[in-house]
Amino acid sequence: MTGTTLLLRQIHPSFVKLGRVTSQAFRPTPKDEQKLSVYNGDMITAAASWVHYRGRKLESVGVMAVTVEECTREDLTARSSPKEFAEHAEIDFLNFNPKQCEKKGKKLKNVAESRGWLHQAEGA
Amino acid sequence: MSIPDFLRPRLVGKRFEGHSIPLELLGDLAVLEAMVIEVAKWRYLQDNPNRKRSPRKFTEGISLTLTSVEQGSAVAVIALSLGMGNLLQQSQQDYFEQARDAIVRAIGAAAENKPPTLHLPQRGLAYFDRLGRSLLDGEAIEFPTGSPDAPASLTKETRLRLLRAAEVTERTEEVHLRGGIHAVNQEELTFEIMLPDGSKIPGPISKPHFETIMDASYGYRQGVKVQLDGVGNFNRSERLQKIEAVEHVTLLDPLDFQSQLEELKVLKDGWLDGRGYAPPAEGLDWLAKAFNEHYSDNLNLPYVYPVAEGGVRFEWSIGPQDVSLEIDLRERSGEWHSLNLETDDEEAQLLKLDTKDGWEWIVERLQTLSGAAS
Repeated sequence: MTGTTLLLRQIHPSFVKLGRVTSQAFRPTPKDEQKLSVYNGDMITAAASWVHYRGRKLESVGVMAVTVEECTREDLTARSSPKEFAEHAEIDFLNFNPKQCEKKGKKLKNVAESRGWLHQAEGA
Repeated sequence: MSIPDFLRPRLVGKRFEGHSIPLELLGDLAVLEAMVIEVAKWRYLQDNPNRKRSPRKFTEGISLTLTSVEQGSAVAVIALSLGMGNLLQQSQQDYFEQARDAIVRAIGAAAENKPPTLHLPQRGLAYFDRLGRSLLDGEAIEFPTGSPDAPASLTKETRLRLLRAAEVTERTEEVHLRGGIHAVNQEELTFEIMLPDGSKIPGPISKPHFETIMDASYGYRQGVKVQLDGVGNFNRSERLQKIEAVEHVTLLDPLDFQSQLEELKVLKDGWLDGRGYAPPAEGLDWLAKAFNEHYSDNLNLPYVYPVAEGGVRFEWSIGPQDVSLEIDLRERSGEWHSLNLETDDEEAQLLKLDTKDGWEWIVERLQTLSGAAS
């Protein structure tokens, strides 16, 4: 992965309201072990990642993305994590407290929102 | 000829203070006339088993009339009019009084959890589909019995027991729904409203509501919702099947707070791909009440999202500010966080939301941020 690698994030339908995405979608929940799961955009397209994700019986209304560099700007490390499947990657929030995670989530969401949806489910 | 004090139901509840009766409740009382007549016929045929039907003119000229509303919460004085001439023999008139007494006894039995069918046949009980339908929680129609201290009390609960005893396959109830109009058939003048749980309920379009329903339909994809008040048809499983009549349709703000909460109410544990706790219903009810009491109408409504741990999250975008309030419904507390995306300035505050102080702080901060952004 390079600085410009897109990290593709699947967006759960409950995290979208009237087209607006909550910043929760860009920070891990307590059960995520402080790691945000994403797809490595160098290895898979947004549309293919959505198909793959849905194939795992997981809900997604579409795909947004941040780059590795945008994560680095927030002191977040992004790395490939091919244990589950080859295209899997993660953004590491491990060293940050909840307030810091809150801020970083909002910053990531902001850049992802500026980039717009890279893929949207039909009818979403 | 008439019996002036034929029925004196007393309406109990806040709406009836000042001895007034809302017009919608008169619709409930109006069904008493048909009910008394049908039950009187039934009583007559019980006493005359060889007859196939009640005598001709048995019900001719019979009507119930509201003659006055007296004090005592509100007492509706209803007279039984027996027509222009004295067409009936006294013995036949008695059947109408017996019918009244049977109706009152059936209500009394239901109130005591006893079988109403001891007093009324199922087809007579079916009239409770209309009688009492407009009652709200905590309200009652009390019918005098022989004992002044023990009236037969028709409430929402006793009405349901009476309808269950009637074994009706369908019943009607007043409904107050929020949802999107996702389909309209202009030729047949029907629509379907999609409720937060995804169910689609059909209903008729009447002329006064046509434009509002069409506007809501055009805006469906943009999240436009309506509040619909009317009468719904429920099956025996208590599921709403269709809307029988529409009384009011009102376009809602796309961020209508109550609608957003209703969407959260249908979440089940596991909503977040197998994880995610559903927000507790009593917590959402508390939040709805607190928000209505304390939030200012002049402020933008929040976007409302569920939180994986069973909480609720409000978010606002105010100029460069990304503002959030994550609410713990069990602790009744909230974590405020605002971040200026241009300057990185942030503010965090833990708030108690079971007092007005916490809400006043939120309103004040939102007003300040909105003022700065405008």
